[in-house]
Amino acid sequence: MKKVKDFITRDLTSVTEDTPLKEVAELLSIRELIGIPVVNKKNEVTGWISETDIITSIFPEKVKIENPDVIHLINISQVVKKLTRVGQAMVRDYMIKDVYFVDEDTPASYVVELMLHKDFKRVPVVRNKRLVGIVDRSSLSRILLEEGSID
Amino acid sequence: MIVTVTLNPAFDHLLFFSKIFMGKLNRAVSTLRMPGGKGINVAGSLAVLGDEVVATGFLGGQGSRAFEGFLRKIGVTTSFTYIDQEIRTDFYIIEDKKNRQSLFIEKSSHIELRYLNSFKANFKRLLHSAKLVEIGGSLPKGIPPNFINELILSANKKKVKVVLNLQESILKECLAGSSSFIVCPDLRESCYIFGEDLCNAASRHKAAQWLLNKGAEIVILKYGDLCYFVAKKDEVWEGEIGIEGSNVIMLGVRDGMLAGFIHNYLKTNDIGEALKFGLGVALSTAQNKMSYLHSKKQAEELCVMAKLRKIA
Repeated sequence: MKKVKDFITRDLTSVTEDTPLKEVAELLSIRELIGIPVVNKKNEVTGWISETDIITSIFPEKVKIENPDVIHLINISQVVKKLTRVGQAMVRDYMIKDVYFVDEDTPASYVVELMLHKDFKRVPVVRNKRLVGIVDRSSLSRILLEEGSID
Repeated sequence: MIVTVTLNPAFDHLLFFSKIFMGKLNRAVSTLRMPGGKGINVAGSLAVLGDEVVATGFLGGQGSRAFEGFLRKIGVTTSFTYIDQEIRTDFYIIEDKKNRQSLFIEKSSHIELRYLNSFKANFKRLLHSAKLVEIGGSLPKGIPPNFINELILSANKKKVKVVLNLQESILKECLAGSSSFIVCPDLRESCYIFGEDLCNAASRHKAAQWLLNKGAEIVILKYGDLCYFVAKKDEVWEGEIGIEGSNVIMLGVRDGMLAGFIHNYLKTNDIGEALKFGLGVALSTAQNKMSYLHSKKQAEELCVMAKLRKIA
């Protein structure tokens, strides 16, 4: 059975809890990522911050797609105020603390289940709590297609 | 885990010609593009040797993803700080008929203070899992002279071994008040260091002694294509390995030697054995078109060709 170590992306790109949200947005944009692990001073994973967390921090109210006019109903001055506040905010203010992670020996089948049931696209990989890489849907799909089976 | 630091990485773009006609149109027979920089080359060779290695430094622009993707494919973990500038490209021109290899280096980026601070914080986090840190290559603009010294002191504080693969001017700045495990000066542009001509045996001893007195545990000096002088406080070796033929590419060869030495010494604690294996890795790298060795097995086979002398 394939394990996480067979399809891990050995990338340690991460931020800390005191990274400004503005820098996270810049990093996600440059790296074309949707989310990134949050680590402490020992490189231990303590959370996750995604572009969704940043956007919902500015627009917490759900904007209904079927009614695009709703965007005009939001008070613009309030949005500007919020943008200023969010721009100065830190990762710790908006990160998800209950983060799921796997280790290098976790079976691929477990990761498939996790990604499908929780709708995760990227999951941090740890060794003794420390970040050693990332598994994402694209590398998981590639390994599954290469093998034809997860077993 | 081994961490390699490359503050000024670049793509190495290799262009192969049978012969170059200056001032005329020249078409390359083949090309190769791969991540480069001294620390990057060391990381590549260590990964091929089976070591767990993390490459760090500054990257930026569109090329970053390809740069990192290439490293990960050969087993190197990446942990770079991203800057708002495009990564450099260095051109390596190889002329088969003349057996001539020329390197053209692009101007380096300017690193802003905010990126330096971000790098330092990341470096300190990596130290928690590191057993050795290798710092190699040139410095981009914007990096203060004491920056490397700060990195060494952070590693010393965490009792992480430090290997320095730097130019003479940087070494002079960064050795003050710190201790290093291995010092292997970057001697690509000269065979002189601290005013000593390394082609002269007595001068090699003097230069090595100067570095040992500055806190280095082991000193490695290059005095020919693949001729090395290795000194510890109470032990000195010299070694060489023949490098012949037109199929050798010198890119990454010296970094391969250092990677081989580190890999072996951490296991054997024997500088003679480590030098022998390092020379095998260097020759395997020279015979590979990439900037790292072909395979560990080939390095093990080639290292028996090394000629070693115990001097003291």
